[in-house]
Amino acid sequence: MASVILKGIPVSAGISIGKAFFLNRSGHGPIPRQTLAPELIEPELARLAHAFDQFREELVQVRDRIPAELREHAHIIDSHLMILDDPKLQGAAREFVQKLGINAEWALEKAVTDLQRAFEALDNPYFRDRIQDVRMVSDRVQSRLAGQTGDIKAVRNRVVLMADDLSPADTAAIEVDKIMSVVTAQGGKTSHTGILARTLGIPAVIGVDDLEEHVRDGRLVVVDGLRGSVLVDPDEDELAKFTDLKYQFEAYHASIMRGCHLPGETIDGYRVKVKANIELLEEVAAVIDNGGEGIGLFRTEYSYMNRRTLPTEEELYEEYLDLASIMSPKRVTLRTLDAGADKFIALLGNPEERNPALGLRAIRLCMHHKDLFRTQLRAILRASTVGNVSVMFPMISGLREIRQAMSLLRTAQAELRQQGLGYDPEMPVGIMMELPSAVMIAEVLAREVDFFSIGTNDLIQYSLGIDRTNRYVSHMYQPLHPAVVRSIKHVVDAAHQAGIEVSLCGEMASDPFCVPILMGMQIDAISLNPQAIPGIKRIIRQATMDDCKKLLKEVLESTTVSRTNRLVRDTIFQKFPDELMFFSSLLDQEEGATA
Amino acid sequence: MPGKGNNELEGTIVTPAQSPSEESAAPPARQAMTVSVLNEQGLHARPAAVLAREAQRFPCDVRIVHNGDEVDAKSILDILTLAAGQGSNLDIVASGPMAEEAVIHLAQLFQKRFR
Repeated sequence: MASVILKGIPVSAGISIGKAFFLNRSGHGPIPRQTLAPELIEPELARLAHAFDQFREELVQVRDRIPAELREHAHIIDSHLMILDDPKLQGAAREFVQKLGINAEWALEKAVTDLQRAFEALDNPYFRDRIQDVRMVSDRVQSRLAGQTGDIKAVRNRVVLMADDLSPADTAAIEVDKIMSVVTAQGGKTSHTGILARTLGIPAVIGVDDLEEHVRDGRLVVVDGLRGSVLVDPDEDELAKFTDLKYQFEAYHASIMRGCHLPGETIDGYRVKVKANIELLEEVAAVIDNGGEGIGLFRTEYSYMNRRTLPTEEELYEEYLDLASIMSPKRVTLRTLDAGADKFIALLGNPEERNPALGLRAIRLCMHHKDLFRTQLRAILRASTVGNVSVMFPMISGLREIRQAMSLLRTAQAELRQQGLGYDPEMPVGIMMELPSAVMIAEVLAREVDFFSIGTNDLIQYSLGIDRTNRYVSHMYQPLHPAVVRSIKHVVDAAHQAGIEVSLCGEMASDPFCVPILMGMQIDAISLNPQAIPGIKRIIRQATMDDCKKLLKEVLESTTVSRTNRLVRDTIFQKFPDELMFFSSLLDQEEGATA
Repeated sequence: MPGKGNNELEGTIVTPAQSPSEESAAPPARQAMTVSVLNEQGLHARPAAVLAREAQRFPCDVRIVHNGDEVDAKSILDILTLAAGQGSNLDIVASGPMAEEAVIHLAQLFQKRFR
């Protein structure tokens, strides 16, 4: 048995077996205490100074590399530089080495412990917490003393990259050919780490608790990016099993890639378009490589994050124009700004909200900041001249919001006309169906728009009242809850009655266990992360509409989640045994929680 | 700008009469001034870093005294442990070469809110 098996969220499929390498390791091993012979004191002082010098040099380099738009964060690094050279830290550590004749590690730790006592005595939480800065600085110096460089450039062979979290800056600095997989302690499913790993086609597991506690540099690990586990020190049987699984997966992956450019069509000729969800222009390459039949969801938030000023119309226009031009003639659906709740935008100075998930977000935020919305609508309209652009509004709860948004859109069109700027007057306008209220009146809303896109991630949370990031209730996040299945069916039927197109862009669209049910409803399109497209296309191309309809009928008759899950699992087992083996499913997390 | 336009320093220079003046014509060995913290968040990490960095430029010894605690002005960590909030009154006490320049320069930093 492996010494420990850690669980996390799989964000990029595949298996890798290799040695762990920690980037920016914040912790360090147990600190040794040694008494030094008098003649060793001078060299020890030099060793201590060298470790401080190394980290200072690194901090200075980081500070100088900070892009202009993040310059305000530079003062944090300045503070760390001051702490590094503080007489109470480095000065005290030197003194302990000299006077007590102890090793550098112990002397530094003693200096920190003394400071900790002083800080812990403070009442003000801000000042008390500054000991964290001291800890951070001393941890980095300790790891230099321990001979760890923490620098990816020092790596010669390919490694399993481990980190507490990877920032976009880290990912940009990584030499990708040295990394066989990525594991982080932090990170949400749409994090940069996931995008990076999927783009590189290497396995990744994120959100692994106690990663640094259980894994040390250089340990052999198995990273299972299919099911989201990390095995530390695997035994021979486990190594054999995972090596075997790795080859099988690679063979399976090669086979789905061969068919990924064929259209999404069942054996009996039913067509379902398979499109991509992306948030960065750079991901377009992955969409094309994986056979995406368009972009079903372009998340527009990225251009607004991590900067000091709002993006200008020109900036957004160029981004959208590039996107549409590269994808042309395939359709590109831009979702207007869906910020708020989880995606905080410092620029707007949002008021503090007691309940952000039910607060000023998405279309509500845009209605509150009309200038911001107007700028984005104008940029989208101008890019629509390419001829393949659609727009959709997120978090619509009723008719009034649609009409308000439409009226702003028409105003923007009139302005552009006056200025002699072009736009596509036929640009389809749709809405996200992700609130239970919108689902209930889907027939009414369908008369107002050109298409629906069902956002199941939010729809499930709002329908079931579950915050899936809350670990006490996340097991109740059930994509195949009868209420959810019926809601989706209702929206699809309402759209078809009104003669408009309906697609689905939540995680359910990339779940091989859910897709046959959606097909049974005759959904027109699904939109998913680009790397999941080949596998889902293969399911579609091996399915028949008869089977999907039969499954849907049984699922609709089922009144419990556990029965539904059993039905789905049986079907997948019979029709798609590879998928059962290689994919983790959204359904897995409800195991044992359905009693 | 929220300032009231006064160019004067808020503190007063206390020339220590009690310091034993040697025969030399050297500048006074000890200088002190009372200042108050104007920054909204008090003497937090950024101003503390500026204060320590600037204090380090002077050859004299510089101490900050607050509520009876006396710390080294050249140590950001010492300054942070004062936990001095907005409106606190502190004494800057310098002794040694360039003590007067140090006190005036550092007092100006408080006045300018360390900007």
